[in-house]
Amino acid sequence: MFKNKNDRQYLFLVLPGFIIFTIGLILPLLLSFRYSVTDWDGIAAEKVFVGLKNYIDLFHDENFLNAWWFTIKFTLGNTIIQNVAALLFAVALDSGIRCQKIYRTALFVPCLISAVIVGFIWLRMFSNVLPAVNDWLGTNFNFMLFGSGKTVLWGLLIANNWQWIGYWMLIYLAGLQSVPSELYEAAKVDGANAIRRFFNVTIPMLAPSITICVVGITTGSLKVYDLLVTSTRGGPGRASTSVIYQTYTTAINGRQYGYGSAMTVTLVMALLLVALIQVKGLKSKEVQA
Amino acid sequence: MKKTFVLGMSAVLLVGAALAGCGGSGSGNQAANSGQTAAAQTSAAAAAGQESKAASSDEKVTLTILAGQSTTDAGIEDMIDEALAGKYPNITLEWECVDWGNDFQPKMQQYLQSGLPDIMIGKAQDVATYAPLGVLAPIDDIYLDRGLDAARENVTVDGEAYGLVYNALYQGVYYNKTLFAENGWEIPKTLEDLQTIIDDCNTKGITPFASHMVDTWSIGNVTMQFAMNDVFNKDPEWGDKFRAGTVAFSDSEEFQAAYQYNKLIYDNTYANTFSMEQTDCDAKMVMGEAAMKVSGSWSIQNFLDIDENFDFGIFPFPNQTGDAKLIFEPNITIMTSAATKYPEAVANVLEVLTSDLELAVEIYDYTKTASMLKDVTPTFTNPSQDDIDRYAAAGQIVDVTLGNNQLVWGGFQEENAKDIAAWLQGDGSFEDALKASDGRVKASSATK
Repeated sequence: MFKNKNDRQYLFLVLPGFIIFTIGLILPLLLSFRYSVTDWDGIAAEKVFVGLKNYIDLFHDENFLNAWWFTIKFTLGNTIIQNVAALLFAVALDSGIRCQKIYRTALFVPCLISAVIVGFIWLRMFSNVLPAVNDWLGTNFNFMLFGSGKTVLWGLLIANNWQWIGYWMLIYLAGLQSVPSELYEAAKVDGANAIRRFFNVTIPMLAPSITICVVGITTGSLKVYDLLVTSTRGGPGRASTSVIYQTYTTAINGRQYGYGSAMTVTLVMALLLVALIQVKGLKSKEVQA
Repeated sequence: MKKTFVLGMSAVLLVGAALAGCGGSGSGNQAANSGQTAAAQTSAAAAAGQESKAASSDEKVTLTILAGQSTTDAGIEDMIDEALAGKYPNITLEWECVDWGNDFQPKMQQYLQSGLPDIMIGKAQDVATYAPLGVLAPIDDIYLDRGLDAARENVTVDGEAYGLVYNALYQGVYYNKTLFAENGWEIPKTLEDLQTIIDDCNTKGITPFASHMVDTWSIGNVTMQFAMNDVFNKDPEWGDKFRAGTVAFSDSEEFQAAYQYNKLIYDNTYANTFSMEQTDCDAKMVMGEAAMKVSGSWSIQNFLDIDENFDFGIFPFPNQTGDAKLIFEPNITIMTSAATKYPEAVANVLEVLTSDLELAVEIYDYTKTASMLKDVTPTFTNPSQDDIDRYAAAGQIVDVTLGNNQLVWGGFQEENAKDIAAWLQGDGSFEDALKASDGRVKASSATK
């Protein structure tokens, strides 16, 4: 069956990971789909088959659709802000400024903190620390961003970007450091100024890093949950309820495991679709030096 | 060929995975026992106990215990461990402590599939959820008789008590006695009386109500308090009628009034209530920045931690008919698994909990709650105790379990609270909030 000893060795090495992948990822996904076609409450022994009713109901569920809308806004905001800011910081750090190691560390450290703790920190920042700074300075800025449905998205974007900009910055930094300097020299010789070199040399050569960052930020933002649990708890009201938050409260607290599983399956499909589109689209833009 | 082999193996693994998930009778095996009678379960438990009985007195036993805790309960596990070690050193409790509001139900859901812990600590309303599934063992009368009779009614299902209520909370409007005395305010019995106090507070720059609406559960809690005195006092079966389709939130003036009281509080509370955490809220109350707080005994621990001399009282939030009652909530409720392998050891734990009076007083003093054991009185100074005693003597106490059993917390009250919060914030209309509550009828009961 196997042409040589190497094939058997490859199979032997791949098998454990494959088994874990199947048990840890494929099996839960299949079970989710199975539960999603039932009206199971997560407790009863009986799981009554209801066909695609749960999926049809999803499209009429205002809370679910609003959760998607919030998640999309959160994702778009993160994708734009984190990519732009991370790239700019990386360019700045790559330019040879002083104390770049200190800046790099300071920007990277927040991503080592758990999202749960980040939620606590920013809840306190917006509720206590920044209002106290307001009082001290005699200013009147509205820092209660988590206290209103109109500003809660901005508060969460600030918290999330504070945490993750440093992480993506490192990816861009590594990408920048791999751009051959001859390309910049050739561009200079051709009369390109700094801005033209950035857009015509740096950005195209950073395409693989951009692919990684965009896909990573998008899929990560679509899955936001931990940050919400300790900061806004999905509120005020439902103003910051994400898809996963809505799924959890529906399936677990609401004892609608079947319906919640349908939400999960649609989220996974959406994540796969988004990742596929992004990778295909961005890969085509990648260039080789 | 290699590709074919790998693809074939993948297919086998996937099919095997799907078949493994298809066993409906394999999962939820705890819940599958729902057809068994309580007597059969007791026999099964007794039989299991007899198997281990010979070795139980000396054999080291580890009992698993899932504790769904309120904010005030964290820490009692150490007290119980110490008391148990003194009397039954061979028994060790393996604690898993979670937040009751967010995590107890998910954990129970998980353990219903994989095997319940030997002992579970939740609230009285959990008995109504889990006892009908046949997964709880009835509590022996020996232990129940050591508790107050008031504790039994709402943990009894089909004539058997499946929970042991250990302590109780009182819910109502906590008020700053000093502020009330300084301003000459009397305890309000009607909504008009309350409005007079609110108006006076606003005139004098005192925030009428302390609140922390960032915690949606607080909205849910006060709404049920209002409902107990405006809805369930008139119709104790409102929840059942709701499911039968004969009443609805959109048509019920009483429930609409209960919802509107939230707006009364929202219009007369801190501007940043949707950003304010409970500890900050309680601190402001203690410092005299607010006159009242619609809350429960869980606030007492914060109040006295901040200022042990804080003088506060409690009264029921006035209702439409001027006959509001103070809300009583059985809190720590001990349940035991019908399938435990160590029924004797579990009985020993119940023995310690109900007979060790020093332990009981220690827990009551720590949690600042009321005793549900006979002849046991906490020794902490509760400034609101005089008020509680007065309402108790006048028969003006009502058990909130009536409402919580009919309209469950998880998936219903909690979700309604989010819609109320959205309405208060202007993200939805009052009618939307009522309509959403009506649309949630299937989730209003723990049993189908």
